[in-house]
Amino acid sequence: MFKKIITLTLLTLCVNAFAEDIPIRGKVESKCIVTQDTAGVYGNPLPEELSTDPTDGGVDPVVRYDVIQASYYKAKITHPVSFNDSPTLSDVVTWTGSTSVDQVSDTNMSGYDTSKVEYDNVTEVDLTVAGSTWFKVESQADYGYDKAFPAGDYEAIVTAECIAL
Amino acid sequence: MTNVLPQQAGLRVNGVIYQYTAVKETQDDMLVHVQNENARGPGYIFRETDDWSGLPGNTINKLVPINMIDISYWGNGSIEVEGTGAVEDAEVIYSYQYDPCFDPQSDPNCPGYVDLFSIEVMNPDITDPLDEEYVQAELDRKANMKAQEEEEREEARKKALANKTVEKNLESILGIVKELDMFSSQALLQHDLLVNLNLLPNSYQVALKGGVYPDGQMPPDGKLPSNKNGLRLGMGSQILHDKLVELQYEKK
Repeated sequence: MFKKIITLTLLTLCVNAFAEDIPIRGKVESKCIVTQDTAGVYGNPLPEELSTDPTDGGVDPVVRYDVIQASYYKAKITHPVSFNDSPTLSDVVTWTGSTSVDQVSDTNMSGYDTSKVEYDNVTEVDLTVAGSTWFKVESQADYGYDKAFPAGDYEAIVTAECIAL
Repeated sequence: MTNVLPQQAGLRVNGVIYQYTAVKETQDDMLVHVQNENARGPGYIFRETDDWSGLPGNTINKLVPINMIDISYWGNGSIEVEGTGAVEDAEVIYSYQYDPCFDPQSDPNCPGYVDLFSIEVMNPDITDPLDEEYVQAELDRKANMKAQEEEEREEARKKALANKTVEKNLESILGIVKELDMFSSQALLQHDLLVNLNLLPNSYQVALKGGVYPDGQMPPDGKLPSNKNGLRLGMGSQILHDKLVELQYEKK
């Protein structure tokens, strides 16, 4: 009888044992940083044309990718296909654009231009070398068929992303 | 580099940023050296090489961290191209840091600064050489000697005084002291008597005429002529003297 009582007491103690949840927290910061280097400016060489080409009076926007760890990220740069802000446009705008390597911090980055993948208005580059790479984006908008752009302020957006592979 | 970096003590370079555009064909081999000579020795203090071989030309913008190298090491800089290709629009920027506390005395806020005006005046431990033991012993010895000499001198003086007293007494006893006799009344009476009897010469009472007594007869030309007889005598004496001297060297 005494043995049974002891056994029951022990079982009760086991059932009533306390439990504690201990959190483990962590924070991941991207080892790829995207920074605007140069803001773009549209030049207006012709009434129906807006262009960032310096020969057209514009300024090409430049974006810099700083990669701390090589081969873990890819750059995804989208040149604009619409205005973010503009006067009311009654006709079609034809968009053209491209993205290319402007400057590198390592000679091996010079090969990004040949290894880049382009589709639609997107350019993707695998960042296989640690360091900084400057990408230059060219953008041109042609309005209608030789139709003058309405006067006003125009703004388009270049999207630059760093995507983990 | 004297015309690039400010020549300031304590200035240290912590980075080199350079940019250039490599113009080349992709298939060409090309090495670009960005470098600075070592001003304090052989070789280079900084040399970064970019290998463009098999790569398309592009603009490179590179930051090379430097481990705080003192300005004195930085010699002439250059960009050297090895292989086929060219470098355009080159630009090299030196990032430096100036340590304002390189000399701690340049700023009171620098660690290690010593305020010269706050230093307590040092009190040197002055030792009077006269306090030295051997000097004191020497001084004591001299003082003792002086006292002893003084004592001896005093003794000698006393002794001399005593001898004089004895001598004086003897003189008195022997009647040698004339002063007393000369001025005694008896002596004066005797002197008067002798004068009255004309026994004393008159010259004793007459004073001699004073004045200047001229010299006697002098040689006419003021020169004293040689005495030929004396010369002969002198020569004879000399000959005799020489003979006597030579005698001592003669063999016996």
